[in-house]
Amino acid sequence: MKTADRRVMVQARDIVKFYGRFKALDQVSLTIHEGEKVVIIGPSGSGKSTLLRSINRLEEIDAGSMVVNGMDLYSKNTDLTRVREEVGMVFQAFNLFPHKSVLENLTLAQIVVRGRSKDEALAKAKVLLEKVGLADKANAYPGKLSGGQQQRVAIARSLAMDPKIMLFDEPTSALDPEMIGEVLDVMKGLAREGMTMAVVTHEMGFAREVADRVVFMDNGSVVEDGTPEHFFTSPRHPRAQQFLSQIL
Amino acid sequence: MTHKEPAKIVDVGDGAAIPTKGDRGLFTAWRIAFVGAIAILSWLCLTRPDPYLAIVKFVPDGIYVTFKVTVGSILLALVFGLVTGLGRISANRFYNGLASLYVEVIRGIPLLVQIFYIYYALGRFVKIPDLLSAIIAMAVCYGAYMGEVIRAGIQSIPKGQMEAALSLGMTRGQAMRHVILPQAFKIILPPAGNEFIALLKDSSLVSILAVADLLRRGREFASESFTYFETYTVIALIYLIITLFFSKLIGIMEGRINENS
Repeated sequence: MKTADRRVMVQARDIVKFYGRFKALDQVSLTIHEGEKVVIIGPSGSGKSTLLRSINRLEEIDAGSMVVNGMDLYSKNTDLTRVREEVGMVFQAFNLFPHKSVLENLTLAQIVVRGRSKDEALAKAKVLLEKVGLADKANAYPGKLSGGQQQRVAIARSLAMDPKIMLFDEPTSALDPEMIGEVLDVMKGLAREGMTMAVVTHEMGFAREVADRVVFMDNGSVVEDGTPEHFFTSPRHPRAQQFLSQIL
Repeated sequence: MTHKEPAKIVDVGDGAAIPTKGDRGLFTAWRIAFVGAIAILSWLCLTRPDPYLAIVKFVPDGIYVTFKVTVGSILLALVFGLVTGLGRISANRFYNGLASLYVEVIRGIPLLVQIFYIYYALGRFVKIPDLLSAIIAMAVCYGAYMGEVIRAGIQSIPKGQMEAALSLGMTRGQAMRHVILPQAFKIILPPAGNEFIALLKDSSLVSILAVADLLRRGREFASESFTYFETYTVIALIYLIITLFFSKLIGIMEGRINENS
């Protein structure tokens, strides 16, 4: 199936976002289709995290529209929780609930938000922990886990909600180098299963290997949007060329 | 993006200092004060039963009333405090404004004046027992302070916790209940314990109302027997013993909670 035939999962149009007088997003538009893996890169302060966070309205925007899974996210009439329960989010700082065990981290929202029974939620949680390779840590508390393990739990916690799209906000930036691989492996596995993904990262290897599209942002604007081959070999924009020459 | 460093806050409570493990100096000071107070009281009762033993026999009813006022007030103050604390961080302007107004007004009026005012204001419109109106007066006051304690506790939880809960589809209320408040509780407990002890001491103010608490019983005894010095010595020692006992108990509770996390 060609990308263009697939259902549109995220449709951002002309998004403008100010922090005080600083323009973080300057009329950004972005489309993500079902099953697509989009990697967003760019220098820090370019607005990539802000854009990602606006996909489940963790940021308020000043202009533009964002339609996610067919629902207009910034409309007054939209039930925000309905949108968010379909959008998984993984944070740089993991944000596991420290007062709950790994298993409880995975079951809480299933029970409270999805209304699943405890048994059902537990069964799902165990399958997912197996999948991220942490079945033996089910009863541990987040504080006892390494950064890499915490992030894998965080991914499993999001997956437990059966999201239609997963957002990753610099998921490996807070990790020690030797733990980055284990998290990226889980993400690659997800990508192979066909999950729709939007990933903000500095891991160029991951972008090259997994991305269907690479979006390059600079100064609050999208300046390149194309295949990884195109981006890594022949970027048009001088800012992208400069960025690549610095990191490669 | 402009990030403002939050101003450092020096928190000075007026409750008894709760000794922490490792704080050896305070720990021994606590022991000396606690054991010393009990020893002096016992010695006075044994060597001079008249009037000391008579006083000690007369006041237990008052201790019971002091407890009722303190426990009732702190429970009600926690409810007021939770409503106020949530209001102070609410995005709803009306709710937020109301909570802030309550805190400002209460903090600007001396407790003794508030107690008089609420007691007589309540008495003017509704007929409720003296004890209950004393409890309400104390709780209205302490609710404002408790509100600030709870607000600070909630705000000390990293922003990412709320974001993670919201991104899982929880409402703000669900996130508060399941994620934020359970974590904030541990942070709130020590200052709330200090508030409890401060309230225990301030409950002596209700003795000016028709509430027969520990201090009031003492005043009654003293005015009949003209043993003012002896009576207030006993009253002071009993307050000290009770206060020290609770500060220790709260310290132990705190230790338990920290161990479990």
